Parts: sequence; structure tokens; C-alpha cells
Amino acid sequence: MDLKQALFTLSRSAGPSGMERGACDAAAELLRPYVRTVTRDVMGNLVGIRTAQRRNAGCLLLDAHLDEVSMLVSDHEDGMLKFQAIGIDPRILPGQSVRLCTQPPMMGVVRIKDSKGEEDPEKAPAMDRLRIDCGLTQEQAVSLVPVGTRVVYGTEPFLMGEKTVCGKSMDDRACFVILARVMELLQDKPLPVDVCVLGSVQEEYTAVGASVGAYNLLPDRAIVVDVSFAASPDSPKAATKPLGSGPMIGVGPVMNRAMSEKLQALAKQKQIPYTLEILSDYTGTNADEIQISREGVAVCCVSLPLRYMHTPIETVDLDDIEHCAQLIAAYVLSLEEDAT
Amino acid sequence: MRQTLKTLCGLFGPSGCEDAVRAWLRGQLEPLADQILEDPAGNLLVYKKGAKHLRHTVLLSAYMDEPGLIVREIEDDGFLRFAPVGSADCRYLPGKKVLLGSSGIPGILGMKPIHLTSKEERQTIPKTKELYIDVGARSKEEAEKLVPLGTYGCFASEPLELSDQLLCAKALPGRAGCAVLLELAKQALPVDTWFAFTVQHRIGSKGAFGAAFRIKPDLALILDGYPAGVCPDKANAPCLQPGSGPVIAYMDHSALYDRSLTALLEGVAREKEIPFQPGVWRRTDTEARGIQRSLGGCKAAVLGLTVRDPDSPLGCCSVADVLAMKSLAEGFLAKLEDNYG
Repeated sequence: MDLKQALFTLSRSAGPSGMERGACDAAAELLRPYVRTVTRDVMGNLVGIRTAQRRNAGCLLLDAHLDEVSMLVSDHEDGMLKFQAIGIDPRILPGQSVRLCTQPPMMGVVRIKDSKGEEDPEKAPAMDRLRIDCGLTQEQAVSLVPVGTRVVYGTEPFLMGEKTVCGKSMDDRACFVILARVMELLQDKPLPVDVCVLGSVQEEYTAVGASVGAYNLLPDRAIVVDVSFAASPDSPKAATKPLGSGPMIGVGPVMNRAMSEKLQALAKQKQIPYTLEILSDYTGTNADEIQISREGVAVCCVSLPLRYMHTPIETVDLDDIEHCAQLIAAYVLSLEEDAT
Repeated sequence: MRQTLKTLCGLFGPSGCEDAVRAWLRGQLEPLADQILEDPAGNLLVYKKGAKHLRHTVLLSAYMDEPGLIVREIEDDGFLRFAPVGSADCRYLPGKKVLLGSSGIPGILGMKPIHLTSKEERQTIPKTKELYIDVGARSKEEAEKLVPLGTYGCFASEPLELSDQLLCAKALPGRAGCAVLLELAKQALPVDTWFAFTVQHRIGSKGAFGAAFRIKPDLALILDGYPAGVCPDKANAPCLQPGSGPVIAYMDHSALYDRSLTALLEGVAREKEIPFQPGVWRRTDTEARGIQRSLGGCKAAVLGLTVRDPDSPLGCCSVADVLAMKSLAEGFLAKLEDNYG
């Protein structure tokens, strides 16, 4: 699998929470060669399954979400669009290209609404002072872009240097690429357990996708693969790990301790670089939902370091992606020992 | 015109590093010019004979530069610190892609995730000294090899067409003027004309001084961009909008424009039925700063293009306005013989 190309393809697709179809279709194409079945459940989750050779071998769920942070058109003003967003820092928006999820899709640019010089020049324009400019008249805007229209970043992914990929929606498409790569690494090997790959919907909003997905698939164990904070000059050191330092293995109450320790042991044994991510409370990932599915599921987070989360320039390292995939594939094969 | 404009806006040209723009323009203008030269400042000066020779020397000017940045420090972990060049506006920097140096090394202006920010931070425009560029380097050495100190950078945005008329791009205020001048130079001209494509407008019209001193113009028409909507210092000034026609300027921070020339422009607009918008104020200078007071003085007028968010990676203008600017400039040249023959 060409990891860079896979990242580019998934980054380009649109999948705001609740409208993940575009991203799901692209993800399904990526995963299809490595699993037996690819289906979609009632919530829109993508489910890829490869079963074990034995019956009743147990089930391992691998989760990565397919939705992305997005904006929502809330009103029209002189042909410009007012909008709302959760999880987006308004300071990165002025001058940003965006894609409207209309039929057909439409491009726009975020502008700062002029305010006749009343504003404090030091103060960053808040969301309510930003507008999306699609070059429309008020009439056109009202008819072509109804209130409620979803909007995603319009940036194209690109490579920086030899192994750093930058683009929108790397959170969490880069982790879906990891899962597809895991299944590729395992493709010629017999599986000790059923492996279900869940491309879950709506993680950025309520995590309802993971909740329903886990219920339907009845896993015993789950690895939740999401992004976490990679170091940058303006981030607190304690909250981050360097880009390129390998998978971040979760440690904390939500994590099943045996799984976490097994992952660490495997990383050492296979000489895969890794760090520990201390998650002392809610993880803020789908692990929180999957842990409490049905009778309870043993879960562990494996996180991919990512810079500039929730911006149009989310940045990941190709080596980190490969290392995450190798670690998870090693974990899958290690379940053979537990089975016998 | 549309293609010329898109090509010009796509070129790399922060103030002090306009080489790519100059080289491209020179390539286009070489076969059209009666005389072409690059002066010590880096201005591209082009003379083209017209049907008539006027007693007065006529100059049309536009600038080649755009806001950008310059790398001033490389940190141990490979991140770059920079200084803004040409009044780059900090409100547009975070989260944007930039190109660095003539080889176009891609980089990004990072910003920590919203999860790690406070409400106060989100309400404050970051200062350039707090911002940094990520080029994907993992060490100082790796970054230095890619991007040595002193490397220039500018926005990396691809031009975007919002509709048949509205074009979004970086560098529009200067390059739209360059596009108009280039398209004019492709035509037969009514009078002998100098074209100046100047450097370093955005750091005080540095190029315009030398260009005017060499050409010694008596009459100058200066092309520039005007911010749409915003009237920062004069709340009562009319709001300019793309698509409502070119701007005929009367005054701004740098100059009061010659009334006979503005009247001439208005006359052309009325005759050709081209709508125009009055430019009664703007906070920043035009090239008149350097041209109007050159030598014994020069009558100067400004023809403007209204641009939404002119300093952003995707400012927006109307292609119809650009074409109308060209038509007005053409009419302006044609009328000079009657008035200044």
C-alpha cells in the first residue's frame, strides 16, 4: 500500500460528522482488498470483517473514525454565509478555502466581515465576525446554500520533505489508513481471532457511531486508533510527544491494563519506537464508548502523533503510520498465544 | 486577461524577491517593447512607441511584489522563525501553506490544537514572533539545508474561481495592475508610453522612486488594489465592492490626485459607459508616494481594483473590473493627445 497516496485520497474526501458517505466510500475502496466483507450499518459506519480460521475464536475490534471537524451554514447576509463550528479555532479561518457539501459541491473563502474600524486591532475576529464568500448574491445564496449546509476545509494534501504529510482530516483518516495497512500486513497470515475494522461515524460529535458499531459487532477486545498531540513550539511539552516518535500506547483507567502492557511488550520485542500516552480520565476518543458496550469490552488506545489538530494543515509522519500498523498487526497475531 | 492574471498571481514575489515575476513579465514583454531594461532596484521598465509622440512623458505603473515573510532563525527541532515582509497581515497567517525560496519548499504556519488553547488565546491575534513555520524537518541541520536563513516566503494558494466573474488569489492588488499593463502593451498604443513594473511597493514604494527618476514622467497613471468594504479610518466613506467598476481615486494617505487627470478618467468612463467607484480614502500608500514628487513633479492619477481581503491568501476581485480598468487606461492614453499633445 502506498501510504502517502492512501492518505491523500482519504484526506480529499469530505465527511463532516453525520454526512460521512464520501469518506466512507473512499475508505471502503482502500480496505476492500484485505477483508472478506465490507458493509455499512444503519448509522453509516463502515464495517470490514475478516474471520478467524476457527469458529468462536473471539473478536477484536479495530476502530478509527471517518468523520471530520466541520462548519454549518446558519444564515445569509448580503450573499455571504454566516456559519457555526465546534472544535475549530477561529484564528485559522480568515483567508481559508472551504468546500460546501452542496450538490454539486461549491468552493468558498472565509472572510472577515468589515466592521468600520470599531474592532480592537489586537483582537482576533470571533466566529460571528467571519463569513463564507462563495461569490453569490443574496438570492443565489438563499437558494443554493440552505441553512444547515455542511462545510469542510478546502485544502489539498501535500508532502513536506520525504515523510511528512500535511492536509485536512488527517484526524482521523490517517488512522483508518493505519487499519487498512494492518489488514494488508496480515493478509497472508491466518487470523487467531475475527478482526472487525470499524470506520466509525460522528466521533467528533457524540461518538454514536462507535457506540452502535461496538454493540453490533460484539467484540471482546478493541483497539481504538485516533490521533493525539504531537509537539510544536507553542504546545505545552507535557501534553505532547514528538512527531516521528512512534505509536502512543494508552495508559490509564479506560485502558485494559493487560492489553496496554502487551502492546508495550510487543513494541519492545519488535523494536518499534513508542511512547506512553497517559490518559487519566475520559480519553476523548471512541474508547470511552466502546469500553462500556454490552457487558463491557477490554479496550486500549493506540494514538498517532499529529500536529495542528482540527486545522486544515494537520500533519503526520509516514513512519509513525507504518509503526502503528506494525504494532497493531503484531498484537493481532499475538492473540494466538492467548487462544491456545 | 483571466489567464494572465491567474499566472501572475501564482508567481512567487514577496517584496525584495520579485525575480520570478520580473522574469516572467520580461519574457512576455521582450517581443513587444521598443526598449526594455531592469534598473538597479529591480524594476522592469518598458518603453513602447505609440501612434503619436507627446511632449509629455507618459508613465503607467504597477507593482510586482506581495506580502510575505523572511526566515530569521532556525530552532533546534527544525522549526523556523520569521519576520513579516511587506506588511503581511497576521490575521491571515495561522494555518496557511507557504512556499519558501525560489525552489518553492512547502511549509506551513502551524498553530497548536484548539484543545490546548485558552479562551483568551483564541481571542488574540498571534504576533509574528510567536508564529513559526514547519517544513517537516526534524532537526536544525535538516531545516537549514532546505531553507537557509534569509530565505523569503509567500502564501502558496492556488487561484480559485468562485463564479464567471469572481477570481480569488493571493497578490491581487499588485499583479492585477501588472496584468492590465501587460495586456495593454500587447496592443497598438495611441501615444509613446513607458510601463514600470516596480519592486518593493509594500515596504514604502521603494522601487517607484528610482523608476520615476529615470523615466522623468510628466503624466502618470498608477494601478493599485483597494480593499473592498472596509473603510478603516473613515466610517462615512462609501464601501467599495468587486464588480461595481474600477476605482478612480481622489485622495489617500500618500497623495491628492491631479484633478485634470481624474476628470479625464471620469470622462472616459462616461463615454465608454464603464461604471466606476470613487476612491476617497485609504490608509496605505500608492506608488504616487514615489512618483508624484519625482524631480520637478508629475501629475498623477490612480486607477484601482476593488479586492476583498487584499492581503489574504485568497483575496477576491471581479474579472470584469480588471477588464474595465484596462479599457479605462486605454481611453486615458487615447485622450492624452487632445489634452497634453
